Amino acid sequence: MPSVGNQTPRGARPNSLASIFERWNRKLHYYIGLYLLFFVWLYSLTGLLLNHSAWKFQQFWPGRMVSAEERLIQDPAPGSDLDQAREVMRQFGIRGEIALPVGRPTPARLEVRASRPGYNYVILADLSQSRARLETTHVNAWGVVRALHEFIGVRLAGSGTRRNWIVTSVWALSMDAVSLGLIVMVVGGYYLWWRLPRKRAWGVVALAPGVLCCGAFVFGLRWLWS
Amino acid sequence: MRRLYPITRDLHLYLGLFISPFVLVFSLSVILLVHGWVPAASPEPAVRTVTGLSLPEGLERLKGRDLVNALRPVLDAIGVKGEVDFIRAIPGEHCLLIPVHFPGRDTSVSINWEKRSANIATRSDGWRGALVYLHKMPGQHNASVRVNSLFMRLWKWFADATVYLILFLTVSGVYLWTALRAERRIGLGLIAAGAFSFAGIVYAVCR
Repeated sequence: MPSVGNQTPRGARPNSLASIFERWNRKLHYYIGLYLLFFVWLYSLTGLLLNHSAWKFQQFWPGRMVSAEERLIQDPAPGSDLDQAREVMRQFGIRGEIALPVGRPTPARLEVRASRPGYNYVILADLSQSRARLETTHVNAWGVVRALHEFIGVRLAGSGTRRNWIVTSVWALSMDAVSLGLIVMVVGGYYLWWRLPRKRAWGVVALAPGVLCCGAFVFGLRWLWS
Repeated sequence: MRRLYPITRDLHLYLGLFISPFVLVFSLSVILLVHGWVPAASPEPAVRTVTGLSLPEGLERLKGRDLVNALRPVLDAIGVKGEVDFIRAIPGEHCLLIPVHFPGRDTSVSINWEKRSANIATRSDGWRGALVYLHKMPGQHNASVRVNSLFMRLWKWFADATVYLILFLTVSGVYLWTALRAERRIGLGLIAAGAFSFAGIVYAVCR
């Protein structure tokens, strides 16, 4: 079997820029692929699950577990809704990405919705009586893996919502990294293919239908029905 | 074994080339979604009204997929193409609200079954909106209604094909890497580092 890991482009000196680029482009193609292997598997398989939400084995919502508890709380210090929400969540010992309603009906009422994969929390706090009720919805592993695919902490485009849990930010960063890694692999892969003259023609035969089909979905349909 | 390597290498190359535009679509749309860089639909919709609609009998009694199927000829007749997201009935106003999507275009149809008229508002959200829409479709919601248009049936097929081919590309890629003896040690290190990062982040998110 040929070892193609350290080839030098034809006509290039081993230490020329072209040669270094060639070598590292090839290495990066499989280094990135190997590093991102588990992330790619996760997003691919969960994407498949989301595409086939009717598949029976992955139905997690009917089997969800809901629990509730009510307790006295220490009134959170004056501050933003987010700070107060964090303080109340700390007292319940829960963590997650917080979604606050647009406004509070009265300053004494605080409603907090928070989530992390597998758990959804709703806290209704009555600060005038220093009481709060926490409702927790817990779903099984299928619910967790599906949530991982969508857990970005930004709810609506243009809504101005921002991630408020560091873990969500790290997860979103990993999504960015996986996406950028795949883009680098694809673009680097095009170059690797182009450097194989004997495979160019068949490569065009393989690439062209992909470009045409994809372009039809992204641009063509709109143009066709405009 | 000797024949398997070149066959796998060629399949990795050609299948990878075929599916690469779809991988780019999914990757770019992730970045748009993660950062909320999805443009809002154009603020001024193109609005038009159609009267004298020919509506099927008993429309108000239909639900779900049956209602979508019954309305499809009506939507075709008024020149609205695309995937019906859902249908909301407002019986008090004799009205059906029907959001219809194309990649990059969002049409809102309001049919009054008493007056037999339809108000149609069309907005454009450009190529970025198209990428994000395609990424999210067919999606997990309204499963009984979704995939009610030809283009969505095709897209679902391509989205599935993207997953299956990516799985093949990863497995074949690992096999091709194992043939590179000089790269085995660093490759193993990278797999271990990736697995460690992956497990660590998933644990932090889920625990």
